[in-house]
Amino acid sequence: MILNKYASTMVTIDWRIRRLGQAVFTVWAVITLSFALVRMLPGNMMGAMITRLARQGINPARARELVEYRMTIDPDAPLLPAYLSYVSETLQGNLGQSVFYSRPVVDVLAEALPWTLFVLSWAVFISFFIGISIGALMAYWEGGKLDIGLTSYAVLMGSIPFYVLAILLLIFLSYRLGWFPTGGRQPIATDPGFNLTYISGIVTHAALPVLSMLVASGVASLGMRGNSIRVLGEDYLRVARLRGLSDITISTQYVARNAVLPMYTTLLISIGEMFGGSIVLEQVFQYRGVGWYMLSATHQRDYPLMMGGFMVITVAMVIALLLADLTYGYVDPRARRSQ
Amino acid sequence: MTVSETDYQPEPKQGDSILEIRNASVTFDMDRGESRVLDDVDLDIERNEILGVVGESGSGKSMLASALLDAIVDPGVLYGDITYHPPDGSPIDILDLDKQGLKELRWEEISMVFQGAMSSFNPVRKIRTHFVETLDAHDYDIDEGIERTEGILEDLYLDPDRVLDSYPHELSGGMKQRALIALSLVLEPEVLVMDEPTAALDLLMQRSIISLIQEIKEEYDLTIVFITHDLPLVADIADRIGVLYAFEFVELGPTGEILENAAHPYTRLLLKSTPNLEAPIETMQPVEGSAPDPVNVPSGCSFHRRCPLATQECRDVDPGPYDAGGSHVSHCHHWESAREEIPMSYDLKEIDTGSESAKIGKGDTASRTASAEPVVSLDDVEVHFEKEKGFLDMFDEPDVVEAVDGVSMDIYERDVVVLVGESGCGKTTLGKTAVGLQEPTGGSVNYRGHDIWDVKAGDGDGSISWDEIRRSLQIVHQDPGSALNPHRRVKASLEAPLKRWNDDLDGNDRKQRILSLLEHVGMSPPEDYIDRYPHQLSGGEQQRVALIRAMLMNPDVIMADEPVSALDVSLRVEMMDLMIQLQDTFNTSYLFVSHDLSNARYIAEKTGGRIGVVYLGRLVEIGPPDEIIHNPQHPYTKALCWATPELGADNDDDESPIREIDIPDPTNPPSGCRYHTRCAKAREVCRQQDPGAFDIPDDDLHEAACFRVLDDHEYWDSESITEEDELVAQGDD
Repeated sequence: MILNKYASTMVTIDWRIRRLGQAVFTVWAVITLSFALVRMLPGNMMGAMITRLARQGINPARARELVEYRMTIDPDAPLLPAYLSYVSETLQGNLGQSVFYSRPVVDVLAEALPWTLFVLSWAVFISFFIGISIGALMAYWEGGKLDIGLTSYAVLMGSIPFYVLAILLLIFLSYRLGWFPTGGRQPIATDPGFNLTYISGIVTHAALPVLSMLVASGVASLGMRGNSIRVLGEDYLRVARLRGLSDITISTQYVARNAVLPMYTTLLISIGEMFGGSIVLEQVFQYRGVGWYMLSATHQRDYPLMMGGFMVITVAMVIALLLADLTYGYVDPRARRSQ
Repeated sequence: MTVSETDYQPEPKQGDSILEIRNASVTFDMDRGESRVLDDVDLDIERNEILGVVGESGSGKSMLASALLDAIVDPGVLYGDITYHPPDGSPIDILDLDKQGLKELRWEEISMVFQGAMSSFNPVRKIRTHFVETLDAHDYDIDEGIERTEGILEDLYLDPDRVLDSYPHELSGGMKQRALIALSLVLEPEVLVMDEPTAALDLLMQRSIISLIQEIKEEYDLTIVFITHDLPLVADIADRIGVLYAFEFVELGPTGEILENAAHPYTRLLLKSTPNLEAPIETMQPVEGSAPDPVNVPSGCSFHRRCPLATQECRDVDPGPYDAGGSHVSHCHHWESAREEIPMSYDLKEIDTGSESAKIGKGDTASRTASAEPVVSLDDVEVHFEKEKGFLDMFDEPDVVEAVDGVSMDIYERDVVVLVGESGCGKTTLGKTAVGLQEPTGGSVNYRGHDIWDVKAGDGDGSISWDEIRRSLQIVHQDPGSALNPHRRVKASLEAPLKRWNDDLDGNDRKQRILSLLEHVGMSPPEDYIDRYPHQLSGGEQQRVALIRAMLMNPDVIMADEPVSALDVSLRVEMMDLMIQLQDTFNTSYLFVSHDLSNARYIAEKTGGRIGVVYLGRLVEIGPPDEIIHNPQHPYTKALCWATPELGADNDDDESPIREIDIPDPTNPPSGCRYHTRCAKAREVCRQQDPGAFDIPDDDLHEAACFRVLDDHEYWDSESITEEDELVAQGDD
């Protein structure tokens, strides 16, 4: 038996390393892909940059150097050395130099990232909290009026694109009623710091982007409803009732606990999805986060910044999924061994 | 150990009921009308007895169990009176209790063990938590309760620390079921209601748990209501047996009376239809017809439509309880003549003793002689599964499950081989390998002398094609419901093989052929059945369609994976008879897979086939059914025979032949003889050497893989390894 226990921990370690390996592989694939895009995309991205610089009166040799500095890819080097140096630069955190801001891409994105994360984490937290609560209520009163009403709400929320909701919110709550600012990420006239006006300013600026992401709660609540109804039919619930457990124990430890399990992965995946959605969302609210910078970099042909944003979003997605996989065992004991 | 607080009255006293049920009915409102799933039931449960309640699926037996705890699920409604007499204090009317009263009754006084132990625990909480929260909810002292729990778990041959600190999924089915029994005893109840507590378990585990139930009943001073569909199972332990049919008791009496002197036609027919190891097979006959629908129970006696003794009186008047002597009651107008009109197998055995040679169906299959060429021949076949691994893991030593390990076996023309064994022992994998559905990782599978995997790879000599082999080897699955495409009508399902293999037939011919086959297997009118979808057929009918579908290929060998285990007891003999009859019509061989030795015996004996016993991937014994059952050579076969419940037979020798209840981990099988960890006869040499297959001198078809077969083997000088382990699962007396 001791031998058995030992063997099972071995398996767990192996599995985690394997999962980490997959994540590293994905990141490597993204780096390689972005290199390939820059080097090989029709239209010659680097050539265009060099021509643009040359047109501004910079001599071609200097222009080539500048481009290499900005993209961390030497346009003249052979494929393999260029690739290797690009990978090593990227892994060291050098994503190149933004053309438009004349600052390292990492600095630009590092400054923007907390804002995006701030909005996203609240959006995910609130929408799942609401979704799970509503879903549980719907399951409890399955078939009743409340269930039908809330299901209609959930279907409606689930079918509205978040950017449509964002624009509607903007029109009614900001322009018509003036309750919220119409754009930006922080109040203009206040000093940044730990003072009430600044913090409340940040909250009001983030409120509408967070609200428009609430559409995710629709899908979450429908999922939760289905899961809960499934759990309500389980034998262990019947046994628990006969054993005389309190209603609170049954609803939290038996129904909710088991119904939430499948939602956990959905939650972390949706963080990744929201990162992608932030490109449009931040544009609508002129909220200067990673997505906003990425889109404007595309407009300004600021390729290094654009590629950097691409990289950050992918890595965020990979990390979210990795976290979901690695921590799922803590939520569901069955996943600890069988994985 | 811990004895519950009631240490008075160890002997059941006549008339001392612990539960009185009067006019209990359960109804459901359905679209089709009111469904009555328990119909005016009267029952007294005596203190400290084991009452066996037997009924087929849909006879209302689970409703009775739920009714005892007033736990009928919505929207069912329970009427009548159920009175509980506590050992001290005044009687309690269960149906009048409020929420608090029910909470104090359930689990503290009357407790329940459900059928699905697999799903009776919350999967995200440890077993210990289940005990703690139960004690907590009833304001019991938790430390004391856990101490008691550890005692109960030990009594059930479980390691308390290991079980309590496990999550439910970490325990095997048998362990979970025992943990669930412990959970139901944690509040020291007076009455334990067990609803099919062993239905999902293997034979050996079933038998072990049955003997444990008897022990805990003594130890904890319980009254047990044991509900099952399997009459022989309760025969050993029950003091009284009640037989449910169509939502009411048709007969109730002491176990011996019910088994040997049943006074209701249904009980007598049910007893006759139950395959077992002792009774001559020709006495086993199916019960004609099927159980009534709860919405539309026949008037008068509910059994009259299937009863051979039915008269006008039965159609008009609901038979009241007739006293059939002692405390034996029967709800049949003709209970006296039933005993003579429907002779039991035991009576027949006496009549038959003179003409032993006149046995039907017995006799060796002609083709199975030494010179005959086998149809399918397995030579040292191995199937090893590697546990699922992802990439980056490929350098590790993978966990290998040796599902089949070194099995050789021949199947001849019109032969029948029945593989029996516990679940997870590899019998299904072995069967699939034999019909070419699973590629072996070692050894070869030959079809009429051609290695079928060579033929598939194109390395054959070209005299036989893969298509031909594929057509000749067919399978019938365990669950007919999922083996048929739910979106296709019977006609479409059955036409597919004909279109593929007999493309000279036109649509009309095909239809005619299907119609005649449906009629042949007793599905008439066939025009009605041919256009049905699978969900419009009963389980038995679905299995028939699946069987015809395999037969339409005109195969040489059909592997039937537990073909009757999904069916009701009274239908099993009928289905097996049909399969045997189809074998004659279509000239095929069968490879049956079964976990039930009685069914295996029925088929093998009726067709003159063989039974093969599989244990952890090895074929440990093979031979004719008579030899396997009456002269088993391998200790494992003996254990299986011991574990098979017997009707009527008094098992004086109740000593368990196994040392370990639980089957070893198949990823890490024991060295030497794989059975040595559980074998009561194991000696040192069994741990080191792997016994090959030895011929038994009595019969040239009988082989066993045990050293004990050889009189001059070093085994007899080897040291026993059984003393060091305590004999587990053995009666304490």
